[in-house]
Amino acid sequence: MQFELRTQVIEPQRKTFQHLIDRYGDRPASRYEEGTIDIQAMTNFHYRPLWGPDKDIYSPDYSVLKLTDPYSFTDPRQFYYAGYVTSRADMHEAFGSTLGYLEKRGMFDRLPEAWKGLFQDVVLPFRHYEAAGQMISADACRFGWGTTTTQCFGYAAFDRIGNAQILSRVGIAFGGGTAEALAAAKKDWLEEPAFQGLRKHTELMLVERDWGKAMVALDVTDQLIYALLYDSLDEAALTGGAGSYSLVAQHLVTWFADQRRWFDALYKAWVADPEYGAANAAAIAEVASAALATAVAALTPIAAKADALVGAGSGAALTAAAQAVTTKLAGVGVALR
Amino acid sequence: MTIAPRAPRKLSMKDRYSALTRDLDWTPSYVTEDELYPYTKFEGITIHDWSKWEDPFRLTVDAYTKYQAEKDKRLYAVLDGFAQSQGHLSLTDASYLNAMKLFIQGVSPLEYQAHRHFAYLGRHLNGPGPRFASLCQSLDEIRHIQTEVHTLSNYNKYYDGFHSFPHMHDRVWYLSVPKSFFDDAVSSGPFEFLIAIGFSFEYLLTNLLFVPFMSGASFNGDLPTMTFGFSAQSDESRHMTLGLEAIKFLLEQDEKNVPIVQHWIDKWFWRGYRVTALIAQMLDYMLPRKVMSWKEAFNLYFEQQMLGGLFVDLAYYGITPPKFVEQAAEEKEILSHQVYWTLYQFSHAAAFSTSIPTDEHMEWLSANYAKFDELYRPLWEKEKRNVAAGGRHFARGLPELCTVCQIPMLFTEPGDPTTLCQRWSTFEDEHFNFCSDGCKNIFDHEPEKYVQAWLPVHQIFQGNCGGATIPDVLAWYKMTPNDGGEYLGSRDNKNWLAWHDMAEKTGGN
Repeated sequence: MQFELRTQVIEPQRKTFQHLIDRYGDRPASRYEEGTIDIQAMTNFHYRPLWGPDKDIYSPDYSVLKLTDPYSFTDPRQFYYAGYVTSRADMHEAFGSTLGYLEKRGMFDRLPEAWKGLFQDVVLPFRHYEAAGQMISADACRFGWGTTTTQCFGYAAFDRIGNAQILSRVGIAFGGGTAEALAAAKKDWLEEPAFQGLRKHTELMLVERDWGKAMVALDVTDQLIYALLYDSLDEAALTGGAGSYSLVAQHLVTWFADQRRWFDALYKAWVADPEYGAANAAAIAEVASAALATAVAALTPIAAKADALVGAGSGAALTAAAQAVTTKLAGVGVALR
Repeated sequence: MTIAPRAPRKLSMKDRYSALTRDLDWTPSYVTEDELYPYTKFEGITIHDWSKWEDPFRLTVDAYTKYQAEKDKRLYAVLDGFAQSQGHLSLTDASYLNAMKLFIQGVSPLEYQAHRHFAYLGRHLNGPGPRFASLCQSLDEIRHIQTEVHTLSNYNKYYDGFHSFPHMHDRVWYLSVPKSFFDDAVSSGPFEFLIAIGFSFEYLLTNLLFVPFMSGASFNGDLPTMTFGFSAQSDESRHMTLGLEAIKFLLEQDEKNVPIVQHWIDKWFWRGYRVTALIAQMLDYMLPRKVMSWKEAFNLYFEQQMLGGLFVDLAYYGITPPKFVEQAAEEKEILSHQVYWTLYQFSHAAAFSTSIPTDEHMEWLSANYAKFDELYRPLWEKEKRNVAAGGRHFARGLPELCTVCQIPMLFTEPGDPTTLCQRWSTFEDEHFNFCSDGCKNIFDHEPEKYVQAWLPVHQIFQGNCGGATIPDVLAWYKMTPNDGGEYLGSRDNKNWLAWHDMAEKTGGN
């Protein structure tokens, strides 16, 4: 039986804001929609930027990649701030318990030497790559056009510094609570020949002023790196007595799956755009082809390093990952060279 | 950056934070530092050592997300409960919502702009310490626009004036005051933006810009906005420490920075102060239940706390109080009255309503302002007679705007509240008018910037705003006749009375 609570019923005059009614009709809107759609200023900007007088404060022209209606794309995760931080609080809490467990049981000390070497010499330097990912994504958050995309970029920027912090916390634990492992990894990032191709590629992505090109190049590189480091080594780690590697890697695998959800939707939106679709597909093809070739060349010596240490087929995994990028983009209508 | 020295023992909290943030940075060698950070030289600011930036707070991503998620959970629980219980019926009066209409139209879009441009700092400052602090602020600011929209979303369902806030922010005449303010900051260089927003907006003027809305909410039964205000407080205190660290950092890096920063303080004090004109009238005229007068707020939050506190500390660096601050202090006696009197006459072209202050309200104004009875009460008494005779007054023409602050030229000469103040400059054979010495000073430093301003009245006359008549322009604004004009007899007013009548009859609420 239900109890009868008497409340005053007042008919609302409208169910949401007018810009949402104009798009979707007068239906209740989600918090994602109310906090995102049409929120960016679009017109009548007062002054040209002193730091770049050739464009308006916000403009679709900061990238060759364009959407006729920027709000034709929406985040499949429907992340507005509260949803985003709640999801990330859970992710980081889960990682924190993994790390706590690994430290408490001395799991890093128990790693086979080869896997210790893999953590130290192959994985830890990628904290700097993640930091660059933060900067590239933050730039896209500033210069993108329309909140549905820029919001994804902004959260991705924060995710990347989060990933860098995950790797750094592993490094600190790995160094017995000191910064020694991190210092050695930084030295490798700066000086070790096997990393120089990747560092050069990263620095060149950082100076790309077209945020769309930079994000596509970063994403193509990400797809290789996440397959190479975290996906493909998982099985070998488990059979090779390096369960703690798998336990750490799963958190990055989970994050990257989440990142893919919105990025793959964005590729689709770019290519499906009624006005810019063909131009977008051509631009993505050009940037992704070049980034793929550069990134494969840059990651080959790193994969070789991994193979020399744990012999888990990283070279082959890199080749397969590159093929997967081509297949994935072909799936959304982008033909790589 | 050099390689961190080998640490023989476990990391201290500070070193651990550094390992998780600024140690991620490296000096590039495949591109130049200038290519990587192209925007930090042209303003003439000299930074010798970015590592001297003291992190104003030490939050890591895991701590940030955990803490913020908990805060949002509590906030949204309040919003849901308020909506479910028709909490809007327990406001002091529907006219209170005029303050919130102004807030969502004028202030929330600025939070959004801050979100985007702190992301710019999060990419383009050379130092990893300030970059990460800026990225955190960028996230906080999208939190603020979104939680504000979600907080006010429920009022939008039952009241007019909220429904098209982003569209209006880009177009409406009185909203070009806050919009041009923030566009000015965003179009400045990164260091000026830090001083304009990080320091001036978030520190110097925050208690005058932001807090009056939240206090007004708590005095007028607006539980959601008050809860939002409390929830944003810990974010704001981080932003204040960032702004303070920014100014200290710039001043300590090189003496040559001092005069540049001084001009930015002068400029952004006056620019921000002019935006507070909208808030002064809100405090004194729009809140059914008063919090404090503008005069009292300005005295407490600016004269006592800033001039008597902060600027005493900044004197160490050779920084003096902002130019024309004495005019602002003098103006606190008359500011709100002059602004509201103007808005009263133009509210038929606004998405908020106005009304003659009640007798009780006029007593309060008279008790708080020595010059009210002499200068402003007679205007209202005359207008009461007009209304009694069926002739509520609305201005027919369009006002002339100040080229810099974009407020109608309604302010009076320093020391003479009965003579309109008008300043002007000539630039490239064109004549530009200003409301004050402060605005003229800003223009004269950067005329090539301010001549670009999208001045709403000029734009209407040039035919860029939907047409030549007021109904054309209002349609272009997406304003309906229910959104503005006189409060008494408005749809909000009628609904309010009907709903309360209904509540009494059914015994609900």
